[in-house]
Amino acid sequence: MRLSRRRFLQASGLAALTSALPGCGAAILPEPDVTAPGFGEDSTGTVQVWCRGGAIGAAIQAAADRFHTTQDRLRAVVTPVQDAQYVTKLATAIRGERVPDLVDMDDINSMLFIYRDAFTDLTPLVRALPDRDALSPGHMRLATRNGRNYGVPSLADASLLWYNTDLLKKAGVDPATSLQDFDGLLDAARRVRGLGEDTYGWSIGGNSPGIQGFVVQPHVWATGTDQIQGEIGAQSGNIEGNEPLRQTLEFYHALWTDDILPRANFADNGSTWGADFRAGTIGFFPASYSPAVLAADEAARRRTGVVLLCGPDGGSSFFDGGDNLCIPRGATNASGGWEFAKFLMDLPQQQVLPEGGFTPIRADAATAKFEHKYPLVTAPLEKIKKGYAPITLSYNLLFNQADSPFGQMFRRAVFEGDMDGAIREGQHGFDTILTQAQS
Amino acid sequence: MTLSDTTATTVARTRAATERHIPGRRKRRPLGDEGTLTHPSSHGLLLVLPAALFVCVFVLAPLVFALYISLTNWPLIGSYKFIGLDNYATIGRDPAFWQAVLYTLIYTAIVTLPILVLGYLMAVVVRANRPGSTLLRTVFFLPYVIGLSTLSFLMVLEAQPNSGAVNLLLKALHITDGTTAWLVNGPLATGLICALIIWAVSGSTMVLLLSGMQSIPREVYESAQVDGSSWMAREWHITIPMLRRPISMSLILSVIGSFLAFSQFFIMTGGGPGRDTTPIVLYIYQRAFVQLQVGAATAASVILIVVVAAISAVQFWLLRAED
Repeated sequence: MRLSRRRFLQASGLAALTSALPGCGAAILPEPDVTAPGFGEDSTGTVQVWCRGGAIGAAIQAAADRFHTTQDRLRAVVTPVQDAQYVTKLATAIRGERVPDLVDMDDINSMLFIYRDAFTDLTPLVRALPDRDALSPGHMRLATRNGRNYGVPSLADASLLWYNTDLLKKAGVDPATSLQDFDGLLDAARRVRGLGEDTYGWSIGGNSPGIQGFVVQPHVWATGTDQIQGEIGAQSGNIEGNEPLRQTLEFYHALWTDDILPRANFADNGSTWGADFRAGTIGFFPASYSPAVLAADEAARRRTGVVLLCGPDGGSSFFDGGDNLCIPRGATNASGGWEFAKFLMDLPQQQVLPEGGFTPIRADAATAKFEHKYPLVTAPLEKIKKGYAPITLSYNLLFNQADSPFGQMFRRAVFEGDMDGAIREGQHGFDTILTQAQS
Repeated sequence: MTLSDTTATTVARTRAATERHIPGRRKRRPLGDEGTLTHPSSHGLLLVLPAALFVCVFVLAPLVFALYISLTNWPLIGSYKFIGLDNYATIGRDPAFWQAVLYTLIYTAIVTLPILVLGYLMAVVVRANRPGSTLLRTVFFLPYVIGLSTLSFLMVLEAQPNSGAVNLLLKALHITDGTTAWLVNGPLATGLICALIIWAVSGSTMVLLLSGMQSIPREVYESAQVDGSSWMAREWHITIPMLRRPISMSLILSVIGSFLAFSQFFIMTGGGPGRDTTPIVLYIYQRAFVQLQVGAATAASVILIVVVAAISAVQFWLLRAED
């Protein structure tokens, strides 16, 4: 047969089409039978564990190393995945039908996969856990759909209000009574600002939408209100008419106009988060444990105190950040995955989490011995039910991106003072994103 | 006779002379049925088969697959269904898409000419084998070698108010007070990114043009000099006309690079504040991996491929038209 150019091109096109077709597959993977006798006990072989990179990766790897010292039947192979790529890579693995046995992922993203039937229903296993009532309810909510549990918490990263006890003492502020509402906070912050030209009352990453979402929202949640309303599939923004939100934005605007926030906060994208607080020039610093305490030297730790973030007129809350453990459908060693998950939730593993900058997800981890060793970690454990995080498929879009409506609303309201315009724009942004995501 | 007439005559005379001596340039022989482009031989096709297969698997197949994805509601996670041209219609109605397109065009318009001019000037400086030329070539090309990602990360730090080198320098020069928040202001961030890109990419343009300059016979310049032409006249009437192909290639590469710009925006501003610095590729990335709408993102990618291919084709056509 003579090979003409036309035939050659036809053959090439066909080859391209044939190569492309295998990528068109997509299916819900089979769910492991978690009710099988002996599931999650005495497993053997290897369990593939994915976790976020950085400090979390180190914490999970350290736990895996301890796990290996307790037995030699099952080996946990920990693969850290860069946080920003976690969702993409896991989704790719699921589409490629080569999933890990256990995923330790940002709890805020767990619903993305649960909603798409990508994770295993662990309800019978969770109900059988002897300490299930001690687990962080905020984390559990993020892994629960229609009353079924698709995950369990592994570690917490709570947003709290840290303060410099030395500065508060000099300013005559009593943290036990003055940090209950916005009036008290504003007054305390003003007093600290009055201590000197280089001393500021408050600090926040004003150009970091992620930080803003993490530390500002709890003020609103403390009143029992959220910025999102409705169930997934029919959610919309709750911005206009949300009085606690308006009060929170006005509070931050007052901090800005009264020169209580450092001018550098305007451009702070979080790359130097907490450096000013650790240096001792800031009175109040809403953040997580790691930048406030773990990164600080011993002297700075000694002068640090902590409370939960209050609402405008009282109440308190904190962001239930951290990780959830889930077993993807199609996992080849789901039993081993659950066994390792239980190990991670055990008290000995939980009580060393502060070494890596994290908080336990069990209220019963706050023993006297633990409190003595980590006195600045116990605040969220003592009020673990105050923890909250919104359930949505669009958290990153709504709060974490540079063009997130929450971030834009915050900047416009706080730095420009256009409260009405910011709130109107925020409502539109929330509704647009939620509508797109649910269409 | 004016000086430019003299130079033009010299150029024409010399070009004719040099074309006679260009090694390797041979007159084409008439083509028959065998071995022509219109009727290739089987042997020729078999020889290119490995390369063709490679292109099929790694270029055409993904392209076909991408076309298919763009016709579905393909999410990052979960099942999908065929939705025809809905994604294209949705993209067309999305103001953010058009904002990104407009921003990409503006960005391309801002950086293209300065990259060419700076690259040309750098090539002029280093084309002669004077002492220090090699060092200068290395210095000029170094930013390109370091890479945009690294430079962007460095610039994020250097653009910080009060502490970054950019602000400290401007403060020392009494231009600003050193507190400028470059990356939280759309126009300022765009200006900074453009300055970074012009500095970083001009080195590669320099290399392209330098190779072209070095292929221009020295006799041409000597002849023009004998005729009394100035340096500027020699550049204008000899160098630039004879660099038409490298200049065209530089422009094509520069425009394509600007249309596909991503890392500098992703690292330095994340597209913000708001959407003020979101070029089209970052829009596609966000649509796919933040909004998790891979189908819609792929539709935007297909549009981008068509646009970039069309612009490149027009540029190539303009180049060929004068042959």
